Amino acid sequence: MSEFQGVDYYGLDELLTEEQKQIRKTVRAWVNERVMPIIADCFERGRFPDELVPEMAELGFFGANLKGYGCAGVDNIAYGLMMQELERGDSGLRSMASVQGSLVMYPIYTFGSEEQKQKYLPALARGELVGCFGLTEPEHGSDPGGMETTAVDAGDHYVLNGTKTWITNADVADVAVVWAKLDGVVHGFIVEKGTPGFSAAPIEGKFSMRASHTGELYLNDCKIPKENRLPEAVGLRAPLMCLNQARYGIAWGVVGAAMACYEEALQYCRERRQFGKPIASFQLVQEKLVDMLTEITKAQLLCFRLGQLKDQGKVRHTQISLAKRNNCRIALEVARKARDLLGGNGITLDYQAIRHMTNLETVYTYEGTDHIHTLIVGHDITGIEAYR
Amino acid sequence: MRVLVCVKRVPDTGARFELTPDGRDIDTRNLEFTISPHEECAVEEAIRLVEQHGGESAVLTLGPEAAAEQLREALAKGIDKGVLLETDGSEWDPAATAQAIAQAVRELESADGPFDLVLFGNESADAGYYQVGVRVADALDRPCVAGVKGLKVENGKAQARREASGGWEIYELPLPCVVTVKEGINVPRHPSLRGIMTAKKKEIRRLTPEKPAMQLVKKGLRKPPERGGECEILGEGVAAVPKAVEKLKEIGVI
Ligand SMILES: Cc1cc2nc3c(=O)[nH]c(=O)nc-3n(C[C@H](O)[C@H](O)[C@H](O)COP(=O)(O)OP(=O)(O)OC[C@H]3O[C@@H](n4cnc5c(N)ncnc54)[C@H](O)[C@@H]3O)c2cc1C
Repeated sequence: MSEFQGVDYYGLDELLTEEQKQIRKTVRAWVNERVMPIIADCFERGRFPDELVPEMAELGFFGANLKGYGCAGVDNIAYGLMMQELERGDSGLRSMASVQGSLVMYPIYTFGSEEQKQKYLPALARGELVGCFGLTEPEHGSDPGGMETTAVDAGDHYVLNGTKTWITNADVADVAVVWAKLDGVVHGFIVEKGTPGFSAAPIEGKFSMRASHTGELYLNDCKIPKENRLPEAVGLRAPLMCLNQARYGIAWGVVGAAMACYEEALQYCRERRQFGKPIASFQLVQEKLVDMLTEITKAQLLCFRLGQLKDQGKVRHTQISLAKRNNCRIALEVARKARDLLGGNGITLDYQAIRHMTNLETVYTYEGTDHIHTLIVGHDITGIEAYR
Repeated sequence: MRVLVCVKRVPDTGARFELTPDGRDIDTRNLEFTISPHEECAVEEAIRLVEQHGGESAVLTLGPEAAAEQLREALAKGIDKGVLLETDGSEWDPAATAQAIAQAVRELESADGPFDLVLFGNESADAGYYQVGVRVADALDRPCVAGVKGLKVENGKAQARREASGGWEIYELPLPCVVTVKEGINVPRHPSLRGIMTAKKKEIRRLTPEKPAMQLVKKGLRKPPERGGECEILGEGVAAVPKAVEKLKEIGVI
């Protein structure tokens, strides 16, 4: 397989600034050198390449679109391109960057006190601390507002009780941003590894996102200091704002996975011969390739405009939902088509399609399922809530 | 210590390329540009030397305004300042390039003090004349070692190592001196996102050198046959023979 070239059928590169292209170049080169040689093996063994975290930090991938506190402060299009290149490597890698940046650093940056920011943000940016985000619970996934985890004010500390599940990085995190109800209202809390009453365990047997840590968090009379509550995070709006940041990164990221699948399938179809000619010469095959390219191109345009809106501070969360929904759908479709075009080879880890395809099943579901984003946009355009 | 590193903007030839209609140049309209690989190593070496010994590094290029992109790349990796010797984009031969660079070094040195080391790549990835570094050393009357794969600065002296049929040649040079380095001397870093953002704020000085008459004129380029290539189906069975013969004649084997 030759090195990733990127897909740019509509000359979008012309709209990118020098820095945006330079940033993409750094991430692309790093993924080629450090990720591609090992990722199939990581996936097969069900292992996240933890050894790459210091390099990701050094290159500035964590919280890259935040300003100050050791963060790079790149614009949102550059940030999106970074996510695209990371997910072109593997969705697990992009998940790591999404969780650390959008779900751990962003809430501390947005809702935290100055002391909390000073204490955690530079260390998270340097990768010395790894974070996780605990919202989902065994009985509350799409409906996080129903959460059962509680926080009780016990004078000079809070006591947390509850279970969180499907938490990326749960079993390796040094800090968890945990969402719990205090007097019936959702609040955010920073829980450090090693706090008595706080533990985590990995979830085994995943067939998707195998190169990513996923686990559960257990809070049993877990006492945390008063200063660990995020002062400005009050109500469900706060975690949903975090999810919006992460969903934005996903909308870009999955296009990277789709591009990897398309590029690989195109090359394969030109080389693989059946009935005496390359399979790319059959109309049915060409149609699939053209469909893939078309959907990728549309998704790229969507991302680019979304990035502009985000940089101008005008983006609405429903626009992010539309892009997350569309791009996850098309990425999964592209991966499935690529898998098909690779024939039997398509089911092996020697090629990328099946790895991306199974990963994308997670991405389709997490950060708001396809249904939920449909209903968010549906609510927006009709004024009628259909999820309850 | 003060280190100057000189780089050239070259087309990224990893991709496929075409020649211009007059056959004298590579058609660069659809190409990405980059810093020559040996020079990327020279940039890395400059950054490491300053990280080790303190001081300041600068990167210089002779080329069109667009070559500022390559300066920014070096600045993003950690070089402190940029200098652009701006041209109209036309070809400069190695003698003219070296003359302009030597003149610029004198100007920069009279303003900010001498450079202990001036680094070059052994040869550029496009023209590959192997001359510019050596000519600049000569013009500045400084000692020079070319093709260096190991470099140290100690007690005010540079030690340069060259690979020689499985062994090493080791040279000691007084400072200031000129060294041209080869790929393999180090593994160049990627610019970090923070570096890319701070590079925007770093200074790029612009000088406009006079272009002297060219002594060396490139007459033409011939494109090598494409490697790997694509296959073309000429037909099937006996029906394909006339076309196949035609092709063989076309490529000159019969
Ligand atoms: C690998 C992985 C990593 C994850 N990482 C994190 C993390 O770091 N932090 C975190 O907090 N969570 C994380 N999640 C959890 C993820 O966000 C949830 O799985 C997701 O929100 C869906 O919740 P659920 O699994 O409980 O499914 P459910 O909510 O039970 O949904 C099941 C099905 O019912 C549908 N459905 C539910 N309600 C409606 C409705 N009103 N209308 C129509 N259809 C509906 C859904 O669309 C879906 O098809 C992760 C999940 C995975 C798989």
